[in-house]
Amino acid sequence: MTDKIAAIDCGQQTVSTLKGMLGEDVQLTSESFDGIQNLQNYMMIIIEGNGNQRDILQRIRKLRYACYFRAVPIILINNRAYSDSMEPYITSGATEVLSFEEPSAAIQQILKGYLIPNRKPLKEEMEYLNSFIKNTINVLNTTATVEAVFKEVYFTNDFRVFGDISGIIGLSGEAEGILGITFYWPLAKTIIAKMMGVDEEHINADLIHDGVAEIINMISGSTKKDFVGKPYHFEISLPSVIVGSGHQIGHAENTPIAVIIFEVNFQYFALQVCLKSKGNIKGLSAGYKK
Amino acid sequence: MKIIIADDSRVMRNIIENAIKPLGLATLHAGNGQEVLDFLEREGAEIGIILLDWNMPVMNGLEVLETIKKNKTYTDIPVLIVSTESEDDKMSKAFAAGAKGYISKPFTPERLLNLVRGRISVGPTC
Repeated sequence: MTDKIAAIDCGQQTVSTLKGMLGEDVQLTSESFDGIQNLQNYMMIIIEGNGNQRDILQRIRKLRYACYFRAVPIILINNRAYSDSMEPYITSGATEVLSFEEPSAAIQQILKGYLIPNRKPLKEEMEYLNSFIKNTINVLNTTATVEAVFKEVYFTNDFRVFGDISGIIGLSGEAEGILGITFYWPLAKTIIAKMMGVDEEHINADLIHDGVAEIINMISGSTKKDFVGKPYHFEISLPSVIVGSGHQIGHAENTPIAVIIFEVNFQYFALQVCLKSKGNIKGLSAGYKK
Repeated sequence: MKIIIADDSRVMRNIIENAIKPLGLATLHAGNGQEVLDFLEREGAEIGIILLDWNMPVMNGLEVLETIKKNKTYTDIPVLIVSTESEDDKMSKAFAAGAKGYISKPFTPERLLNLVRGRISVGPTC
């Protein structure tokens, strides 16, 4: 299968150089930023770092939104090395920041590394992830009459949330870790309005914070019941809410994070499950690398 | 008759209020356990039932139950636990402290309404 890569508003020279680096196994297409709506089906997005930082950051944020929580690497590339900090680009949604001043072989290796797809869960991992999936769907259906559809799950080693608002809850006990749910504002507002039985215009930021905390509380609480008496049973803490994008969540070392993507009427949200058993449970442990 | 809805989440209090609206009873919203006790002190004679979350700041559900149990004025008011916490040990503690029932979150509006309707009509029995 040919990997599809989008080069967003990249100059001809850049596109030509990248094609040379990536080879014929890759389908590199030039795309216009203005036409971007859905980037889910691309294996990688490359954007040139031309223009002022504010514009670049805004573009990266929009590109990250268009990935709908899929782990599509967004590579920012420029002719000159960056003199400023990389952090704003990473927190906006870029995966890597590169410069053509670096050795071609190094750039090539980095880009090809990012084309390796994120690990999918093993069968034994799906046994516990299915419970989170089932309860997420049930919570939204019961409290908000919203039908969430499970789309996909993958593992990542970086617990970084890209969305507008996240509810996070700590898990401890036989298994420990973190559970998080991330929304963009429009969908969060819609869901909370339906939960409260009011029009969306009545939903302010405080209610969205409150509602997101309650949603992750209910998902974790109802999933916890499924694990009673099992080796990966956990207790839950009080939920916290994080507003803003690009936050990195501290998590147990060597514990991958399962990112579960759901769709609600062509909008998306993600549940992140980082769970590590204290015992030797096959499939619920550390050490998987991308 | 009035109903106390105690939950630190305003969204959840709204969900509960919407579910029990068909009863046509006035509701009092408490964001923590202490507010429940304050309502009881002010309006105890009119309180028909308390819907109580388990985990709340200032004073949690169990602490509220234990305080109510010590005061004969309020012991006849049925308390239902509405919570994500529904494991046997926690529920045992709740019932030992005087709770008359519980419902797990998430719940359908119909289920909560039926439970509350049943408790109000039956009164302080298990």
